[in-house]
Amino acid sequence: MFPISRRAALAGLGASLAAPAIVNAQAPAKTSVGVLRLSSSGPVFVAAERGYWRDLGLDVELKYFTAAQQVPVAVTSNDAEFGVTGLTAAFYNLAGRGALKIVASQARDEKGFPLTAYMATNAAYERGLRSPKDYAGKRIGITTTGSTFHYMLGLIARKYNFDINGVTLVPLQTLPNMQAAFKGGQIDGILAPVTLARALEADGSGKILAWAGDETPWQLGALFTSPRAIDTRRNVVERFIAGYVRGAADFHAAFNLRDAAGKEIYGTNYAETLSLVARAVQQPTELVAQGLPYIDPQGRLDVGDIYAQVAFWQQANLVTREVNARDVIDLSFVRGHMNVPRG
Amino acid sequence: MELVCEGIAHRYGALDVLAGIDLAVQPGECLALLGPSGCGKSTLLGIMGGLLAPSSGRVVLRGEAPASSLNPITYVFQDFALLPWRTVAGNVALALEHRGLSKTEMDARVADALARTSLTEFRDAFPKQLSGGMRQRVGIARALSVDPAVLLLDEPLSALDAQTRDLLMEDFLKLWLASRTTSVYVTHNLQEALRLADRICVLSRRPGRIKEIVALDLPQASRGSPDAARRMAEWAEHLWHLIRDEAAVAEREVANVR
Amino acid sequence: MSDRPVEFRGLGFAPQPVRYAALAAFAVLLAIWEYAGRAGLVSPIFLPPPSTIAKALADLWAQGLLLRHLSESAYRLVFGWGLGTFVGLAAGFAMGIWSVSRAIGVPFVSALFPIPKISLLPLLILWLGIGEASKVATIALGVFFPTVIATYAAIDAVPRNLIRMGQSFGLPTSDVLRKIVLPGALPGILAGFRISSSIALILLVSAEMIGAQYGIGAFVLQAGNLMLTDQLLAGVVILSILGLAIGTGLGQLEKRLLRWR
Repeated sequence: MFPISRRAALAGLGASLAAPAIVNAQAPAKTSVGVLRLSSSGPVFVAAERGYWRDLGLDVELKYFTAAQQVPVAVTSNDAEFGVTGLTAAFYNLAGRGALKIVASQARDEKGFPLTAYMATNAAYERGLRSPKDYAGKRIGITTTGSTFHYMLGLIARKYNFDINGVTLVPLQTLPNMQAAFKGGQIDGILAPVTLARALEADGSGKILAWAGDETPWQLGALFTSPRAIDTRRNVVERFIAGYVRGAADFHAAFNLRDAAGKEIYGTNYAETLSLVARAVQQPTELVAQGLPYIDPQGRLDVGDIYAQVAFWQQANLVTREVNARDVIDLSFVRGHMNVPRG
Repeated sequence: MELVCEGIAHRYGALDVLAGIDLAVQPGECLALLGPSGCGKSTLLGIMGGLLAPSSGRVVLRGEAPASSLNPITYVFQDFALLPWRTVAGNVALALEHRGLSKTEMDARVADALARTSLTEFRDAFPKQLSGGMRQRVGIARALSVDPAVLLLDEPLSALDAQTRDLLMEDFLKLWLASRTTSVYVTHNLQEALRLADRICVLSRRPGRIKEIVALDLPQASRGSPDAARRMAEWAEHLWHLIRDEAAVAEREVANVR
Repeated sequence: MSDRPVEFRGLGFAPQPVRYAALAAFAVLLAIWEYAGRAGLVSPIFLPPPSTIAKALADLWAQGLLLRHLSESAYRLVFGWGLGTFVGLAAGFAMGIWSVSRAIGVPFVSALFPIPKISLLPLLILWLGIGEASKVATIALGVFFPTVIATYAAIDAVPRNLIRMGQSFGLPTSDVLRKIVLPGALPGILAGFRISSSIALILLVSAEMIGAQYGIGAFVLQAGNLMLTDQLLAGVVILSILGLAIGTGLGQLEKRLLRWR
């Protein structure tokens, strides 16, 4: 086809002009990454848009999915070589059977970054549900068993020392269902993403009690690939991660800076990066600006938390016993991972 | 009882089916309505029994029905109209169940009707298990069970093969001679009309009018004798002459009518 | 010409019941499936072998959860199907008998039947909450429309001459309905039951999306959400067995009620 032949011709021209200096005369290596249109995938959008992978000789195709569980499945089934999403029980069930390995971090719940709200309905609030520690013994709506929301409830239970089994988890599958049950007062509270939480509070349907980032920081999401890719295309994996981490650094520099009082500082290229992310997630910039997550500038993971996640799911009988947290992570691509358990 | 049609006319939309029918069915007679397909004879029968409302005119029932008659005007249908989910006895009982009879009387009426039509040993069979002729016997038994004052038979033998038709015709004739119930017998078959009727009313084609009424003044019982053969042949000749042209046209048009 | 025997050439095209053929084919399929899993031809994540599925079923039984899931689902199925069928029969009869209710009903049914009931879940939650009512209603709603259609089509199919026969013997309208229309429509209505009971099973999973902690549908959903494919297929097996059981039951019912056919 014409565009390809022209590109090939140009590449050939460039090679002959710059002659021996350029080593990379061969075509860029093709790879792909599965993402959701969420701002937590920001590093991917930044790296793609700013050509960080192209500079490293990679031709990366972005494959969009609509639900978090689809991304690890796509990597397992070879429809994408890499994936970035939140960590769920389903993820560990796939990863633990040797299908996936975590190689770098994605978003992390951090103090001062409101991503997920603990909410109470007005009625429950009146009856004294004022803080997530009062969730003990209540009926709380979540999307699904094994979701990130489910884990956040587990974290709250651990922090305030109550039994998670005493909380009635009501899996409602979709956000609209959760919203309907919340508005109808069928449940006492829900965990809600920031935009939904703010909308519910604004229309008077309920109260935001706290933010997961403030209450219980944790490693929300990760970049992962298949062990096969690590074994057979290590060079591609390394370059991909390098480009991804450059994107993460840009994202961090633009959005994640705070002053001494914890107030947001508009960082490097704030406006331009924001509009880039907004375009990618197909949302208005104001909405995106509300829910920008914390992303580690070097792609480092809170490794201890991942071990804790696996342990939590196994205790809840939702992740099979054979899964070993150590086998799920490959620490060799990023330096300086945090909180790495010994042994 | 006597059944009188006064100025009956009927139309389906733009189609004139019947026009100016004045006809009195005498008590105790068997009147055959003879005519080609599409002459409106079944429509007339429907009007006579109150299953169709005529466009104009009226039907009058004159005289007292016998006390034992549960359903003064009773039909026998061309396609038998049996309920496939009821047994032979059940189909007969359908005509009686809503009449408030004692169980004994109902059973007696069913048993009697079945006996008269030689169906007793088939009382528990379903219609599907019976031949066409047996099915029409059930239809006749059902009609007999209510002691009708007027019997309206709508081509009762048309759906049967020739042999069965002859057998059933003789059986019906026997039954009829025993009771002499006022009857209207619709048919397009000349032989049936000649064998059964006291009078034959020939209808013309659309709109159906009475073309001629032929009285057969010879008892049914003696019509089969060799002496009667000549008169029978004359009547047949005359009737055939009356219906032949109509039948020829009807045959060519029948597809348009239905 | 010399004598030649006439060759038989009327072979085939006469379906005959072949005993055990389906069972044998099923067994062969299971064996191939199991072998493919054990030999490593297929990843157990993509297609867990039958033995793993059987083990998941056994675990479910051992934990005492199987009966709990089954009983909660059975409750929803019985009430949802029962309610949808009852109201559907009433509406279908009205539409089959009276021209006015048919004129009103047909466009309504045509407009509402194709709505995916799953898209109404948020509304059902708002109206009826997240308890049993909304789950039962989801199933009832799915069952209602095919029942209406089957019922009034079945009444249409009752031969008019049988109704006229009843009238000619002076049967009151209630008797015409009870003794002629209803039994005449029964085969069509029972055929509708086969469809509506399948729909009820399909909608069980949707219904149990509404905050159900127990139930076969909830179990299948959770297994899917957790990517536990062996449990997922175990749930599917239970649903199939349930479907087979209902189908067999309806077959028996047809045999008894429609003996005359």
